[in-house]
Amino acid sequence: MHLEIQLTHAPIPASLPPPAAAAGAGAWVEFRGVVRGEENARPIAALEYEAYTPMAEREIQRLLTALAQTHPCLAARIIHRLGVIPAGEAAIYVGLAGRHRAEAFALLAQFMDRLKQDVPIWKRRALAQMPEPVRTNLDPPAVGAHGGTRPTPASPASAEEVRALLARICPPLDTERVPLTAAAGRVLREPVCAPEDQPPFDRSAVDGFAVRLDDPGPQFRVVDEIRAGDWKPRPLRPGEAVRIATGGALPGEELQVVMKEDVRAAGDTITVLRRDADRNIRRRGEDARAGAVLLAPGAMLTPGALALLASAGCVSPAVTRLPRVLHVATGDEIVPPDQTPARGQIRDSNSTLVRAFLASWGIAPEQLRVGEGELFARPDICPSGAEPDLLLISGGASVGEHDFTRRWLQAAGFTLHVTRTSARPGKPLLVAQRGRTLAFGLPGNPLAHFVCLHLYVRAALEAWSGRAERTEFAPAVLAADLAGEAHGRETFWPARWHLQDGAAMLTPLRWRSSGDLTPLATANALLRVPAGAAGLTRGRRVEFLRTECGS
Amino acid sequence: MRVLFFAHLKDVTGCAEMQLDCAETDAEGLWRQLLAAHPGLERFRGSVRLARNAEYAGPDARFSNADEMALIPPVSGG
Repeated sequence: MHLEIQLTHAPIPASLPPPAAAAGAGAWVEFRGVVRGEENARPIAALEYEAYTPMAEREIQRLLTALAQTHPCLAARIIHRLGVIPAGEAAIYVGLAGRHRAEAFALLAQFMDRLKQDVPIWKRRALAQMPEPVRTNLDPPAVGAHGGTRPTPASPASAEEVRALLARICPPLDTERVPLTAAAGRVLREPVCAPEDQPPFDRSAVDGFAVRLDDPGPQFRVVDEIRAGDWKPRPLRPGEAVRIATGGALPGEELQVVMKEDVRAAGDTITVLRRDADRNIRRRGEDARAGAVLLAPGAMLTPGALALLASAGCVSPAVTRLPRVLHVATGDEIVPPDQTPARGQIRDSNSTLVRAFLASWGIAPEQLRVGEGELFARPDICPSGAEPDLLLISGGASVGEHDFTRRWLQAAGFTLHVTRTSARPGKPLLVAQRGRTLAFGLPGNPLAHFVCLHLYVRAALEAWSGRAERTEFAPAVLAADLAGEAHGRETFWPARWHLQDGAAMLTPLRWRSSGDLTPLATANALLRVPAGAAGLTRGRRVEFLRTECGS
Repeated sequence: MRVLFFAHLKDVTGCAEMQLDCAETDAEGLWRQLLAAHPGLERFRGSVRLARNAEYAGPDARFSNADEMALIPPVSGG
């Protein structure tokens, strides 16, 4: 059989000639698998596919050759498109030529089934909006093995591209063991298994009297008393009962606990007034069997998770270490918040914003406030040997200051990955790396700081933390109109979300200039407005990211 | 040894590939090293198939430094 196999990032042509070597063919069968406009009942704009290309080609070839043994065909052409594929466009094309239609139809059906089992091609993600045309390939050299090229920092990157880049270049940090008392909010990095059955013995679920299941009663003589913490195994004879407290270990098997409310007691004799099928026993291993994984790596250590670790005797879990963070606020116009600014000066609010943001991650940064000239005079501000994992530089608000931070990063030996984004606010964002230090140059105005911290810095912190669940944009409904003209750039608005009738409702908090600080005080979310969207009215479905502490 | 990660496994490891330096080993030994480097892979182990040099590896396969390994999570093409 003649085979033609293509994995391509280009659209699949709308019409193709019959597969080659089709002389003698009596049937030519074509199939196109098309990206549907919805995924999991949510509308989508596109799907992104990826492949392990050399293996996928080899598997497709192997599959067709094997299936052709049973369904001999003359020629096959397989094209699978990769990358972002808009809804309505074909992800796969299969063209088959056979002597008769029966074997071509059969081969097609079986090939499509097997493709979905064995060929290493993946739907990577569904996109709610089409990304802007990709002008930059953000794969850093270390992960550019699948066709990546050197980053071209001159072209702006979309918010999603920057977040994806950060997820890639921030592998989980090393682990450390911490006592349970200091583990709240950290991310577990080892599986924790039940050391014994939980509960470790059959125990009573109520206060009452244990009697034999096969003993109809109704009169029993109380021969012993078991409180929580006692261990008194003993056989029960017919007519005997043991008084037992909630949590007490049952004295044996094949027993039932009659609630004390269903019993009349006189001295050491009881009469059972009511007895039903409920044995009122919490069975050994009912919650978890010995050896069962109680918590998997990547679990967030919430109060409940910590209680579970305590019950399993895991007193010093292995967790991801916290990143070391250095924050430098630059600018000649800022004064500490406890000082009265002179004419032309403002109080520094960014240092407080950064510190509070990091505090929700349990991180206490080292913080410096330096004038512009001073930064260049201190190339050792981030000394080698004690490098932080994360260097945050709050610049001034102007483009000039952006260049200033960029020049400093370059002079200090950092490689720039991102120098501009296509999103606002936060357009003049810098992302750079030197060794294991990741640096952000944050635009100096508070709103851009707020957005960049939650959109980008958080993506790095989450990736470093090794937690299994990442914060993603979630669907919501606009609770108020968001008037205004369409803007060419993707825009993030501070917003306030609340639940109403089970749906997340989002109220945008208007900002006129990205220097505005007042909308931030009540914001608990970022609303994403796609590029070009105009006149978003109340009731429209939108996407948002939560920004509450610890989320 | 070059080890490639795909799909959501890239999110778990934070990278598309890594270098492992190991003497000739079997699947068990390879997983031990992988999990030491990326404990987050543990919960996906049951669903992941190993490929050596772009072919699925059998249960008795042995791997060496010259091999290109790939972790293949459940596929979803078409």
